[in-house]
Amino acid sequence: MSALLETTDLRKTYKVGTVEVEALRGVTLEVEAGEFAAIMGPSGSGKSTLMHLLGAMTRPTSGRVAIEGKDIAGMNDSQRTEVRRKRIGFVFQRFNLLPALTAQANIDVARWLYGGAPNAESQALFDEVLRLLEIGNKLNRRPFELSGGEQQRVAIARAVVNRPAILLADEPTGALDTKNSEIVLRMFQELNRKFGQTILLVTHNPELASYTGRLIEMRDGTVIHDDGAPSRRKARETISLSTGANS
Amino acid sequence: MRRQIILAGLKARPVRTAVSVLAVAIEVTLILVISGLASGMVGESARRIAGIGADIMLQPPHASVLLSFNSSVMPQKLGDKLLEIEGIKAVAPVLVQINGQGGLEQVWGLDPASFDTVSGGFHYQQGAAFSSPDEIVVDDWYASAKKVKIGDRVEILNEKLRIAGIIDHGKGARIVMGLRAAQERTGSIDKASIFFIKLNNPSDYPAVAARLKEVLPEYTVINLPEYESLMTPDHLPGLSEFLQVVSFIAVSIGVLVIFLSMYTSITERTREIGVLRSLGSSKGVIVGLILEESVALCAIGAVAGLGLSYLVGRGIIMAFPTLSVNFTPGWITTALVLAILSGVIGSLYPSYKAARQDPIEALAYE
Repeated sequence: MSALLETTDLRKTYKVGTVEVEALRGVTLEVEAGEFAAIMGPSGSGKSTLMHLLGAMTRPTSGRVAIEGKDIAGMNDSQRTEVRRKRIGFVFQRFNLLPALTAQANIDVARWLYGGAPNAESQALFDEVLRLLEIGNKLNRRPFELSGGEQQRVAIARAVVNRPAILLADEPTGALDTKNSEIVLRMFQELNRKFGQTILLVTHNPELASYTGRLIEMRDGTVIHDDGAPSRRKARETISLSTGANS
Repeated sequence: MRRQIILAGLKARPVRTAVSVLAVAIEVTLILVISGLASGMVGESARRIAGIGADIMLQPPHASVLLSFNSSVMPQKLGDKLLEIEGIKAVAPVLVQINGQGGLEQVWGLDPASFDTVSGGFHYQQGAAFSSPDEIVVDDWYASAKKVKIGDRVEILNEKLRIAGIIDHGKGARIVMGLRAAQERTGSIDKASIFFIKLNNPSDYPAVAARLKEVLPEYTVINLPEYESLMTPDHLPGLSEFLQVVSFIAVSIGVLVIFLSMYTSITERTREIGVLRSLGSSKGVIVGLILEESVALCAIGAVAGLGLSYLVGRGIIMAFPTLSVNFTPGWITTALVLAILSGVIGSLYPSYKAARQDPIEALAYE
């Protein structure tokens, strides 16, 4: 199975004053379509930098990062903007809804930027997402009239309404209480199960990782553990089974 | 969607929106009221000159058509020579002076007999013509504005003069006195600023004008039926430049206020810009949204400015009934265009700055 997302020896160095900080030190990983994976690590491990690179928000210092086979590392700002618009959905810790707009308008902004008039299929998807996220009756409210959990569900709807290739969620439950965190995580699971939405969840909380199907652990800018993509896991299991049978 | 984002942005910051709209409204009002006053005063003055009913106005060399700025004089006895020119029926000399007390009013010194021949005479609402050097006649607007009546004494050319009569407005100056009295008060004995000329036949103007030019080549001969069309701020040297300077100052104020408003706004909305960029908004969309918001602010301000100008114009006329304010379509269009232009110029740098923001840094902005 070909990878939806692929990085090869990905490196990112920031310059803070005169000091160079290596945020990523050669990350190589593959994410397949339909995966729900968690990138976990302590603060400063490089997980947010990795998410920014996967989300075409910035360019790597070196290495390759490809979405659906297209290398985005060498793209210019306008090409990366196009990738974000068409192929990436973001969910942030602090929701980041536009405060002056209603929930409906916040979702519509993403549809407007995506371009093209909504067709029957995209409208059906929109209705289905609203049902799944249980925010259909909150659409006329502005962010300050919504609870944290509701705001995050609106942000999720905004992120998935254009059917992105990949949904990147950066500490999506970081600003929520336990109950709302659980609701949001179950909704991620539902989106992944029902729509086959590929989701990469960035977190420092090991409990959240248990909701996902794959754990990628990072420390000091490198991947220290990766369950591996499902097809490779399957291949490994097959090899170990056959090795076991032989022995 | 674009409109929804812009309107939401304007509504979300009501004080900023109100201050920006007010600034643009004041910009438009400043341009319209100053140009309206200039146009109104000049036009009204021209109508009063045209209202005399003469056919030709003769002025000495290098005289300004704007009589208030005119200090050139010519010999009064030139009138006798003019009467000898074929086609001229009557000649009325007038000495124009400016009264600085309580405003800038023209005071005309004229000879009632000759002036009546040229103009058909004044219509007196009250009283009669001046009969002594310390008497004047004023028009009804002046009497109403200054709240004076027959018998009152008003300070004119540094002397307290008695009002002998009140005439209908629309014919010459608002304050009129005897020619000799005016000449003596200003030291211009036997001098005149203007000759108003009545022709036997108004259609003979081209021929008579040619004869006048032949006899008095340096003098200014003006066809009075055309005078009103000449008396616009655009035709008056200095006035159009003055209006351009006022417009420039007004636009500069508008640009600075819009710049400050939009700059503050994009700083406050750094995070929102980061969100839009993360959603895939291009730099062009960000620039467009900020420019359009600014233009929307200016458009609202411009419309408010039209209303405010009308109110200020009414206020000026109520406070100073002898003044005239005329909002011409040309200046209304200019003021509206300049208001929108100040919005575009004022928001150029803020929109450029917003579009250049790094999405990661913008999202991390506190």
